[in-house]
Amino acid sequence: MSIRLENLSKRFGHTLVVNHVTLEVADGELFILLGGSGSGKSTILRLIAGLLSPNAGRIVLDGRDVTALAPQARGVGFVFQNYSIFRHMTAWQNIEFGLRIRKTPSAERAARVQELLDLVGLTGLGQRYADQLSGGQQQRVALARALAYRPAVLLLDEPFGALDVKIRAQMRESLKQIQRHLKVTTLLVTHDQEEAFELADRIGVIEHGSLWEVGPPQEIYHRPRTEFVATFVGGGNVLVGRAQGGRIALGSIDLPMPADAPAHEEDSPVRILFRPESVVVQPEPLDARAGLFPLGRGQACERVFAGALQRLRLTMEGLRGVRPLSPLPTFGQATTQLEATLPGELDARSFAPGTPLWVGIRRYHVLDSTGMKMLICAQAAPDGDAAIEVGCQLATAASDPVMLLSTAPSAQALAPARERLETLRQRWLERLPRLEARARQGEWSTEILLHAQEGHYELVVLERSAGQVGLDATALQLLEMAEVPVLLVAQPHRSFVRVLVCTAAGEPGKADVRFGGRLAKRIGASVTLLHVQREGASSEEAHRAQRHLEQAKSSLQALGVQAEVLVQREPAVHRILDTAEQGKYDLIVIGAPAPRSGRPMREADLATPIVAGTLLPVLIVPMAE
Amino acid sequence: MKNKGYLPISLLLAVLLPLLLMPLAAIFVFAGRGGWDSLVSVLSSADAQFALRFSIIIASLTAIINAVLGTYAAYVLSKYRFRGREALSVIVNLPVAIPTVVVGTSLLLLWGPIGLLGQFLDPLGIQPMFAPAGVLLAHLFVTFPYMLGAVKPVLDELEVTYEEAAYTIGASRMQTFRHVILPALKGGLFSGTLLTFAHSLGEFGATVMVSGNLRLRTQTGPLYIFAQFEAGNLEAANAVAAVLAAFSFVLFFSMLRLTRRRGRAD
Repeated sequence: MSIRLENLSKRFGHTLVVNHVTLEVADGELFILLGGSGSGKSTILRLIAGLLSPNAGRIVLDGRDVTALAPQARGVGFVFQNYSIFRHMTAWQNIEFGLRIRKTPSAERAARVQELLDLVGLTGLGQRYADQLSGGQQQRVALARALAYRPAVLLLDEPFGALDVKIRAQMRESLKQIQRHLKVTTLLVTHDQEEAFELADRIGVIEHGSLWEVGPPQEIYHRPRTEFVATFVGGGNVLVGRAQGGRIALGSIDLPMPADAPAHEEDSPVRILFRPESVVVQPEPLDARAGLFPLGRGQACERVFAGALQRLRLTMEGLRGVRPLSPLPTFGQATTQLEATLPGELDARSFAPGTPLWVGIRRYHVLDSTGMKMLICAQAAPDGDAAIEVGCQLATAASDPVMLLSTAPSAQALAPARERLETLRQRWLERLPRLEARARQGEWSTEILLHAQEGHYELVVLERSAGQVGLDATALQLLEMAEVPVLLVAQPHRSFVRVLVCTAAGEPGKADVRFGGRLAKRIGASVTLLHVQREGASSEEAHRAQRHLEQAKSSLQALGVQAEVLVQREPAVHRILDTAEQGKYDLIVIGAPAPRSGRPMREADLATPIVAGTLLPVLIVPMAE
Repeated sequence: MKNKGYLPISLLLAVLLPLLLMPLAAIFVFAGRGGWDSLVSVLSSADAQFALRFSIIIASLTAIINAVLGTYAAYVLSKYRFRGREALSVIVNLPVAIPTVVVGTSLLLLWGPIGLLGQFLDPLGIQPMFAPAGVLLAHLFVTFPYMLGAVKPVLDELEVTYEEAAYTIGASRMQTFRHVILPALKGGLFSGTLLTFAHSLGEFGATVMVSGNLRLRTQTGPLYIFAQFEAGNLEAANAVAAVLAAFSFVLFFSMLRLTRRRGRAD
């Protein structure tokens, strides 16, 4: 292996710029690190070259640990975005510099410089100074200079960023040829996707200092694992459906779950990606030919002609209620929108806005299950940051993605809120690389509700003050309107080993068992199912409860969660609180009725007194009607 | 756009003539008035010879020492980020703003026999003031900013990637300085050194304070001119003044030529 990075980390002050990056670049490979500005990609390159030293981790070049070596001793070639050609030297002298430093005999030097000038296409221009060369030529000199002493590894930092489009294309072509010819292991850093797809043997996508995915260009484009990579490279439609009985429910339609799709827990969100060019649009109904998946009817709402292609934005009637992650819906848009690209030569009139169209997709790809996307409401609280502590603790155990959200009432208050979030984010970033933070301006509970709905979170963590009685308005709103489980945290809690799931019998009791089970599985905890039997319950009722508990237990065991059953008699609140305390449980899970059901359910009365009666974290799961 | 009409040009000349051109000419006219022989005899006097030689030696030393010191200061101030860097950048440029006589006074207060540091040196028999060393100290102080001003902008412009490129290529710090940084500084170094030399050659205010104006010991050219002038010895004063002026002209024009040529090469 020519380049091996092991758990490489770099901090600038308190900011984690490179976060535990592990990567292997094979001998002779052209590897591209693709990321936006500030993603840490250039820092990685400088760490490899020895221009910066890491805070943690190892760098191995050609089997040699160079982590502690000076840049001079590493034997790498480095090409900078600004070329950095020595201006008082000719092209020839620039290329020769590394050989002179190494005291190579002059005849050998001359031969090598000539060879390199020929290789990079600068034959005859050796006597020119930098100011007599164009940008592209200067970069060729820089490349030759970096290759002169036959480095083990070639590093290029946005090498074509300062060149105009036409020259850039030529340079890419040259670099590819030279790299193939010399077979030198190359690591190139760029923000330009086209460049990455065109040049790379493999691509690594980097953001916030973490390496998200590594793979060949086709793999990264067509079969990404994460939502970030799916939307970062190329345009894409990402819709969220649900896993149901081996299929993907997507509004009123359903799609087969591909055989090679990553495992999804039943009922968990499934994110499917299809590229705009995979969308089939036509004025006539789609025939059900093999390999085509109809999405139903829609209409074009926007059309842009872009030469070889035309881009359509489609409004889909049939997908009402399906949550798109991408493209971002236009403001005030209730129906789901899709993006499609069609050949530019097709008659534009058939796709004029408002024309009814039939839409289908040729192929789609299922992204990895996210884990449980968690929204932690990180409002500055006088009692400390219990919600953040507990939320991040759980997410660390489950390696789930987390969003820290804070709100500020005014624009002025936004800056300190951001600062506070950034400090919090930096504190957890090492353990939670997929930690994001956002501050929104507006009213606290409204913003949380909006964000919870827009971001498709599966769990919202809220702080409650210890003295608070019952559920506050924010929690109730979340449960009723966003129908998202809410974890109420009163004080920090370190480990999560035992979960107490309080369940009612029958259909309403399934939601909390399912969700509590998923959470327990993610954090590696065991579950106790607690059922409180009504005083004077009929034997039929008791029998039904028994069956429900058995089913619940076996479905938990099917998830791989250790489960036991406990049945007790009323009064429910007392029993639950006593059990939680005596059994040293770490988390109480309880259901709350869906507001539309209109039926009074006993758990409705339970959630409030239980929250009031304990300092343990309480997870309230809204029940399906 | 080229304006015809000679009025503005004549006006400019009319202003410049008494202000600049006539004083310059006067030096040579008065120096030559006694004839060639008297000029030669004045210049061959021991006092005049010493003063000229001393001035040139001090100016050379000042230029060499400040070239090194100034470049080093410029490098540190330009490439390192540390607390107090801004303040230090301002302070090192202060000598141009302080009246030279004040500089002389403060040097005396520091290094003089009863000065802050001088009182400890005095018992050891070391007396920097009223000695050549004192003159050198004063000149180093007064001319320090010139080198800095000539070199630091070049270093500020020189991106760190040039050094980094040299490091990755395999050059040591010394090699990088020698082959990459120094050549880039060549122009700045040269003009900075000349400027320092020229200023040192003409320095009066601080010198007169710290030197004690001792003939054949600490008397520089400008001090000699002043002393002779005071004594009513105009011919001697003018002769040395003419030599200093001629020397400065040569320096000035060579600098001009050099910067011109560099301008063309870029």
